[in-house]
Amino acid sequence: MSGELPRPDAIGSKEIDRKILEIFRSRDGGVVSGEELSRSLDVSRTAVWKHIKTLNGLGYRIEAVPSRGYRLVSTPDILTPAELSVGLNVARIGTSLVFVGETDSTNTLAYRLAEDGAVEGTVVIADAQNRGRGRLGRQWESPAGVNLYCSIVLRPPIMPLHAPQLTFLSAVAVAEAIERSAGLAPVIKWPNDVLVNGFKVAGMLNEMSAETERIDFLVLGIGVNINMQRDQFPADLRHPASSLAIEAGHEVSRLSFTRALLESLDVHYSQYRAEGYAPLRQAWLGRSAVMGRRVRVSGNQGDMAGTVEGIDEIGALLLRTADGTLERVLAGDVTIEE
Amino acid sequence: MDIKDLKSLIKMVTETDITEFELEGAEEKIRIKRGCTAPMVQYQAPQPMVAMQPAMVQAAAPAASAAPVEAVAPAAAKAKGNEITSPIVGTFYRAPAPDAAPYVEVGQIVEKGQVLCIVEAMKLMNEIEAEYRCKIVEICKENAQPVEFGEALFIVEPL
Repeated sequence: MSGELPRPDAIGSKEIDRKILEIFRSRDGGVVSGEELSRSLDVSRTAVWKHIKTLNGLGYRIEAVPSRGYRLVSTPDILTPAELSVGLNVARIGTSLVFVGETDSTNTLAYRLAEDGAVEGTVVIADAQNRGRGRLGRQWESPAGVNLYCSIVLRPPIMPLHAPQLTFLSAVAVAEAIERSAGLAPVIKWPNDVLVNGFKVAGMLNEMSAETERIDFLVLGIGVNINMQRDQFPADLRHPASSLAIEAGHEVSRLSFTRALLESLDVHYSQYRAEGYAPLRQAWLGRSAVMGRRVRVSGNQGDMAGTVEGIDEIGALLLRTADGTLERVLAGDVTIEE
Repeated sequence: MDIKDLKSLIKMVTETDITEFELEGAEEKIRIKRGCTAPMVQYQAPQPMVAMQPAMVQAAAPAASAAPVEAVAPAAAKAKGNEITSPIVGTFYRAPAPDAAPYVEVGQIVEKGQVLCIVEAMKLMNEIEAEYRCKIVEICKENAQPVEFGEALFIVEPL
């Protein structure tokens, strides 16, 4: 990665391209003359033609209609701000969008932008990651053109002690977006694994920069396998994984999914800021695969078995063990016992 | 041996791969033994020493929770310095990945803003950074161990 940080408008969304698309959209598929475009944008007709060529290169289909002008036929399923912001209904999350074609990791980029002062709600999206990562240095397969890799900058006015609550925010929002955009029925395993038909379809990595009593910022990293095909998965996966397209049996629009995700995040985060953790916890419990189930948790401290009674104030798993004691589990891999 | 010499001796030993070091003279016997996380110092003087002796051990002998200091000198050694505590309840990680080198070792001098460890809670990774230039005197927790809110992770000596 270069040392230069991208400015939100510098990448993939040249202001003029964005204006051209706006004009076409306002015509709803109608023809716009080259002269009108040239006048509205205050550039020459040759420049208009060049910008249209660029847009076609990005996957847009803009047709020249002889002696009349241009017409927007179709738009590509790309996650640039120009596309993503169309019809996006958010108050906070996604009001600032950064898109890069490829980066090492969106979390790394978002972390650097946050250190540099990026506002709360800034969303960093990459079409591909060359060093996509998970917990503890694990790799996250991130091919171009098929999935979503995004990181969200939050600056919640809470104590660092309570920050783990926000792990449940991205899990709930990812599950809701899968349901809304792909029509699938996801469940959440504690704390934030999102499963469809038992397969892992999303990975989340959250990072925090904080002092003892104050959070500087949080970065919520979310990777979702949307249209990835079977032959694109690495052979040595820790968990059985899949994509929304494989499970749904058809392609899923990355744009629709991402808009749904940002809107869900926005709604739950606004509610979290206004009312605290309780509604988020309820939303998580409502989608949890483990609530009321007998589970086994294996972790650094050994194995433990019991029945899940809920999650506590910071999201620790509450487990009723065989001898009747209520254990509070902070870390570990959960397996549901049949 | 004065405190300065003892300090340099410990520094010298911790910078090598030596795990145990013993020096016996006419008047004193010094034994330095390194555990997995922190060096251990045993200081034995044949005769009662002057008043500075406990201070000597205090300054030089970090008390590792994993390897208790067998201080023969009066008053068990308690590490001197500032505590860096955990802002969250979670799991302590000394390295970014299981096969990676630890962020810091005992005796190392770290710069302001340098990452010391990760504390993970509910898949939220919190990189703990040095808030000032300092020397790591003690690493209070072992890798992958649970930590409580406010619990000491490191003892450091501000520089």
